Amino acid sequence: MTNAALNRKFDKIRAREEAGLNKPQSGSRALRKLMGNPLAVAGLVIFLIILLASIFAPLLTPHDPLKIDLRAMLQPPSAEHWFGTDRTGRDVFARILYGGRVSILVGLGSALIAAAIGVGIGAYTGYRGGWLDMIAMRISEIFMSFPQIILVLLMVSIVGQSLVNLMVIFVLTGWGGMYRMARARMLSLREEEYVQALQSFGVPTVKICYKHILPNALGPIMVNITLTTAMFILAEAGLSFLGLGVPLSIPTWGNILNVAKDLRVLENNWWMWLPVGTVISLFVLSVNFIGDGLRDSTDPTLQG
Amino acid sequence: MLTFIIRRLLVTIPMLLVISFLVYLGLELTPGDAVSHMIDPEAASRMTEEQFDQLREALGLNKSFIERYGIWLMSVLQGDFGHSLSGGVAISTIVLDRLPATLELSVFALVFSTVFGCILGTMSALRRGSVTDSSLTVFGMIGVSIPEFFFGLVSILIFALHFNWLPVGGRLLPSYDSYFDHLPNIILPGLVLSFMMTAGVMRYSRSAMLDSLSREFIRTARSKGLPDWRINMIHGFRVALTPVVVLIGFRLPTLIGGSVIIEEVFQWPGIGSEFIEAVRGADYPLVMSIALLSVFAVLMASLIVDVLTALIDPRVRLS
Repeated sequence: MTNAALNRKFDKIRAREEAGLNKPQSGSRALRKLMGNPLAVAGLVIFLIILLASIFAPLLTPHDPLKIDLRAMLQPPSAEHWFGTDRTGRDVFARILYGGRVSILVGLGSALIAAAIGVGIGAYTGYRGGWLDMIAMRISEIFMSFPQIILVLLMVSIVGQSLVNLMVIFVLTGWGGMYRMARARMLSLREEEYVQALQSFGVPTVKICYKHILPNALGPIMVNITLTTAMFILAEAGLSFLGLGVPLSIPTWGNILNVAKDLRVLENNWWMWLPVGTVISLFVLSVNFIGDGLRDSTDPTLQG
Repeated sequence: MLTFIIRRLLVTIPMLLVISFLVYLGLELTPGDAVSHMIDPEAASRMTEEQFDQLREALGLNKSFIERYGIWLMSVLQGDFGHSLSGGVAISTIVLDRLPATLELSVFALVFSTVFGCILGTMSALRRGSVTDSSLTVFGMIGVSIPEFFFGLVSILIFALHFNWLPVGGRLLPSYDSYFDHLPNIILPGLVLSFMMTAGVMRYSRSAMLDSLSREFIRTARSKGLPDWRINMIHGFRVALTPVVVLIGFRLPTLIGGSVIIEEVFQWPGIGSEFIEAVRGADYPLVMSIALLSVFAVLMASLIVDVLTALIDPRVRLS
């Protein structure tokens, strides 16, 4: 753009300002940009709908997800049972809603704990460097040289199946990625001039690290949390589908889908697996859309 | 170059040693020892403690942990991973038996996803901001969001059960005479596995292509008046290809992970389905051996990728 063209543009903006047409924009720039991204907004809406439907499950369905009703086995969808019933007459719609509670807890909960641990360690060791940093780096490398599902299955075979075990395993396999990302951000941020200024004032290391530098790495951390959540929800579904995840007595999205391994169910009783598979896909998709939107809105270097 | 390879090996080998140690430690921590697995429970109930000790001594189980680790490591290095608990078959035999199926599936998915991912990614980059670009981006997001087994099940329902075009699963049936008879069997699992991976390659090659199109030499080529296709394909794509080739190596963990579940869905008799069987049956030696081998494969792939990158880009090997 030439100088004259730029001047004209600024004149126009000034004219609008003087006429009182330009309102001062409020709120965070990243949030505004996120809300301007249609895919991210769609993602947020789907995410909230599924999340709220799971939380308020008792208000949305009168059925008990665990109650066996042998008079209502294998019924196709009806006004009474929106998504039909399964082989023991349990209401599939209720199972999806209540299953969402566990699946989202496992996915989001493990991702948040993994982030807290990974970022906590990564921020400190990345800032301080030295032998602590080297040890943490080596440990994360060990965890990351396993293909994720192999490591998860390996640990399941050692500690056995339970909800808590699964979350611990997910945290153990997921903290490495967070750690590396936080550490890499720290390595570049610690060279900034404001950090040197803080150091020269004698601000304690822990305070510089967590209070002054960490907020600047929040964007990529949030993106990473969304991606990890998506990964864990898929992993839980996959493991439960194999019968190696959450114990079958607890309804989760993966456990509901488990029945589709039977080809007869797959062919004849679509309501038992198609709705829940769609819900998982939609939920993961919405989380991915949010993550992508967050990346675009928080990373000024990324314009593609 | 040689010093670079040596330096890289100096990182990889200790890493493998540490992981093998952890895997052996895991084996030790699992319930039961070799003796309790060797003898059937009925006979074991009649044996005295002394007889157990004799057996343990004969097997070298009374040596110290470190000594046993050393012996185990030596035999692993010679390709002897011990025996599976169920059936007592040598683990190396099981792995060699199952490996071809997994390799077949992986190569299929790798080739397919690389070719299509590159084509779609390049298309997307060349028409940046267009309807094609944004719909491909959304398609890519959907590709990474659907659980792979769910996608597999839907494709079984449509193509195998409903239309009856392709077999539901399995690999080699006794009725097959030649190797090529089982080609229909690989199409569904291969395509499902590829579909999941194409999305990743597409995103990666799109940004690589965008990056190379913004370079100076593209402007030079344009100013020389070269036709567009020549600029895009010969000048732009070739440069964008290097990071994509690197990506192939890094996709190995995804490939191993993806094939574990896909093999189970399609009853494909590869390493992945064997691994799941082993986890279900608490066949610890087999579980640990396959895990160790997968780590070995991943570390080797990343070593090869690093060496290749260093060959292409001198800045890497000098840093």
